[in-house]
Amino acid sequence: MFRLIVQRQLHWEPRPEKGSGGDEVHPVYGVGLMKATLFLKKLRGRFAAAEVAAILDGTRISSRVRIDTEPTRRARIRALLGALAKTPRKAFLLIAFYRRTRSKGAGTGRALIWQGGVLALLIFSLLAVLPVRAEARHPLRMIGPEDVGGAWAEVIRRFHAAHPDIRIDYVSGPWSTDERQNMYIRSFLAGDAYELVYMDVVWTAKFASRGWLLPLDEWVADEVRSALFPRDVEAGFYQGRFYRVPVRTDVGMLYYRKDLMPQPPRTWEELEAACDQSANPPERYCIVFQGMQYEGLVCNYLEYLWGAGGSPLGPEQNVLLDRDENIAALAFMKQVLDRGWAPRSVITFQEQQALEFFEQGKALMMRNWPYAWTVLQRSPLEGKVGIVPFIHQTGREPAGTLGGWGLGIARTAQYPEAAKKFIEFAVSPEAQKILHFRRGAVPARKSLFQDEEILKASPHYKDLYEVLLTSRTRPIHPEYPRISAILQKHVSAVLVGIESPQEAALQMNQAIEGVLKGKSYSWPRRLFSDPDLKKTLKNTLVFTGLSVPFEFLLGLFFALWVNLPFRGRSLMRLSVLVPWALPTAVMAMVWQWMFNNPFGVINDLLVRVGVLQNPLDWLSTPEGAMFAAVFADVWKTTPFVAIILLSGLQSIPQELRESLSIDGGGNVVIFYHLVLPLLMPFIRVALIFRVIHAAGIFDLIWVLTKGGPADTTRTLSLYIYDLAFRYDEVGYALFLTSLFLISLILISLLIIRSAALRYERV
Amino acid sequence: MKKTLFYCVIASIFLYCLFPFFWAIQTALKPAGEVFRLPVSYFPETISLENVKDVFAKRPFGRYVLNSLITAGGATILTIAGASVLAFRLRALGLRRAMRIQRWFLVGAILPPALLVIPVFMVMKQLSLVNNYLALILAYTALNLPFAVWMLHAAFRQLPRELDEAALMDGFSPSAILCRIILPLSRPSLAVTAVLVFIFCWNEFILALSLMPSQSKYTVPVGIALLSGASVYEIPWGEINAAVALTTVPVILVIAALQRWIIEGLTAGAVKG
Repeated sequence: MFRLIVQRQLHWEPRPEKGSGGDEVHPVYGVGLMKATLFLKKLRGRFAAAEVAAILDGTRISSRVRIDTEPTRRARIRALLGALAKTPRKAFLLIAFYRRTRSKGAGTGRALIWQGGVLALLIFSLLAVLPVRAEARHPLRMIGPEDVGGAWAEVIRRFHAAHPDIRIDYVSGPWSTDERQNMYIRSFLAGDAYELVYMDVVWTAKFASRGWLLPLDEWVADEVRSALFPRDVEAGFYQGRFYRVPVRTDVGMLYYRKDLMPQPPRTWEELEAACDQSANPPERYCIVFQGMQYEGLVCNYLEYLWGAGGSPLGPEQNVLLDRDENIAALAFMKQVLDRGWAPRSVITFQEQQALEFFEQGKALMMRNWPYAWTVLQRSPLEGKVGIVPFIHQTGREPAGTLGGWGLGIARTAQYPEAAKKFIEFAVSPEAQKILHFRRGAVPARKSLFQDEEILKASPHYKDLYEVLLTSRTRPIHPEYPRISAILQKHVSAVLVGIESPQEAALQMNQAIEGVLKGKSYSWPRRLFSDPDLKKTLKNTLVFTGLSVPFEFLLGLFFALWVNLPFRGRSLMRLSVLVPWALPTAVMAMVWQWMFNNPFGVINDLLVRVGVLQNPLDWLSTPEGAMFAAVFADVWKTTPFVAIILLSGLQSIPQELRESLSIDGGGNVVIFYHLVLPLLMPFIRVALIFRVIHAAGIFDLIWVLTKGGPADTTRTLSLYIYDLAFRYDEVGYALFLTSLFLISLILISLLIIRSAALRYERV
Repeated sequence: MKKTLFYCVIASIFLYCLFPFFWAIQTALKPAGEVFRLPVSYFPETISLENVKDVFAKRPFGRYVLNSLITAGGATILTIAGASVLAFRLRALGLRRAMRIQRWFLVGAILPPALLVIPVFMVMKQLSLVNNYLALILAYTALNLPFAVWMLHAAFRQLPRELDEAALMDGFSPSAILCRIILPLSRPSLAVTAVLVFIFCWNEFILALSLMPSQSKYTVPVGIALLSGASVYEIPWGEINAAVALTTVPVILVIAALQRWIIEGLTAGAVKG
């Protein structure tokens, strides 16, 4: 097989040859030759013209062209070759041809394109139309967490039985409430809203202020409302109009081991006494709660704040966070950690971890929600647990954060009457009892707390009723997500130890005041005075600055080793490809699992080997989280760098290496003086790709840490995403995006320019 | 001695690359009790498929795979089609002009999609294409065209212009030249580009997250990242690892079959003009 490459075509003028065995030689640039389009190789005299002709004989080159065996043609070929042989050496003709070129008959390709186009049009119109129709089969959709126990399924089933013309679709969403809120927000923004809005208590103000919810004043009767807990109903109002009907309620409270402490502490001072007396870290801590940076942290924190007599917002929506009460609350929370009453790992706890910890008997007390009771009754702690309202400062009132879920209707819902019927059914005693017995949901309907069935199965509901009366709502404000984010960040910073209570209180106050005042900044001015942006840029720089060099070092190492010939080399190449080929988001979940404490393999390995004494909470410390992110990124992108450098290495001719080593150069010398300079163009290319991708990274960090503890791994693209999709500041987000894109383009152009000179030479 | 050291290093590279994958599979095969048990076991004591069953039982995972296939496949077809035409025209331009234009393609090829989500989302919303396969297909096509054009241009440029002239003489129209001569001759490069584009679309996360907010339209990476738990507060690590294993094993099989081409493609696109 010949396969050769054309470089330049020679403009030649053949001359008729004399005396080649009597054959007549025609000028070789006739139509015949053009059709033949012979591609001849400059074979350095290895093959005689006749041999080439013999090889070409019978070859089909295109649909209409076949070199046949007529002597005259052969003679022509010979003549061409002869003519070419006389041409100057500089002008050479390298020709490619392919044997067995397939072609399905003559004709234009236009028909093919038309057919392809029509087919594509059909497919795409199908795709465009079908999904819309599919959705129409489910008129009322709601998102909720995994329906364990089939509570909602049963409620919906009974509703379907009573109302055969209405269909409800319960979409199972992620367990994280923040994520489900994002799903709702995305669906509102997309204009394809979920009709039934199954809302957390704090979502009402935001959704209502954006006009996404239907006011339910006329839709839901007063009698229905008065049967529910007043605080809960109150939380469903925004600016005087009613938007959310509570379906299940929730309140934060203190669980304690009845068998280990007969009298639970009710005040902070009593807690101190109890902890100093009975706690015995690390076998048994005094108290656990939710200390991770998420919405649950705000719930915990507010219970301390209210317990100190403070409040985040005053009656005129003025911010009260610079007062002493707040400082006292933050200081007390910090003390709980510093004095060892709670384990430091509390900073990584959400509800599940705190519950497991308490369940395993490692703590005397726990702050959690009512659902935990049901779980505990099925565990070894059955019968040993009691509940009381959460602790407060002496002389103040106890308070529990109101939680719970309710239903609203999207303004764009097509069948609001149907939705209203479902909501009324959901708060009916029948449905409430289903939700209670199958799911452990705390009913929103007051009367059920005197219900015999319920009291028999859950006698603690008497205590729960008392606790529910102490419930208080978080600030009702459309900017609540932003407020919550600020509170989360600074409370987390206090717990982690980055900020002191005083600093945090001041920062909180300032930041929230800024949020409440509204967006008065113009973007350029905001660019320079945005502290979040500064932190974000720093995180991005740190991340890029750490991961890119490591990628290159490791990539070069891999490339050098895989370049060496050995058996199993293709298996090695395959394994090097694997990290690059797998979806980043998917592998980030695996990394999250591997960095888990205590079940993660990384902790396990390091402890076994002896590098670590105790397992670390990687993803809950700023350094650990950044390390994990960098590690995972280096793991993923090393193959890409390795492959590019490998191709570079393979393009270095072996003779050069040998000559250098003969001249007395050791491996290091060869590497430094020969390999590296020749690799430079490849390094440059890989550098462009990697720096830009590392700077704009999203998938890995979002899935792994969501921005990390206290926003310490939040990079620029995460910030932009949050601005646009969570805080609804699309203008500012786009502004930042444009700046970022322009700078990336400039950087890449600069790097390309220097490399472009290389291209011109080709 | 040197040989053992050599093979040690090779083995550690091997381990480094494949360990997370192995860990995911290993966790997926453990029953739930063993997953959350200390001390950590490095090989499942009892192999159980309950996690795999749960993955499919609790959510429409098969649907996710189908969505991924549709969007990635559609985008690949569209990208290759568009890029072939573009590369064909670039090839006809001559090297200098083509290179000048292609430099801008390079810029387009390296832009991280995370920065383009918001504008793309807004455009798709205007077109009422949100939650529609077309949104993702079009977006992926747009994102991948620069890279595909780059690669196909390099491949097409290897074929001599004389082919075109000969074909023109034969009576081929330009579109026929593209379809019947150039494309069949550059099948390897087409395949490589298609594979790379497909992999990129399959792995893409943020656009799929933003443009397909409804659960029935999730692609596989989005579905896994948003995996819900058995109760409100629980993270189902066993199921998550099972889903990961289900997704990654086919990908690994595919790249095992195509590794030579993939490497060729990555390097060719990156280095040669």
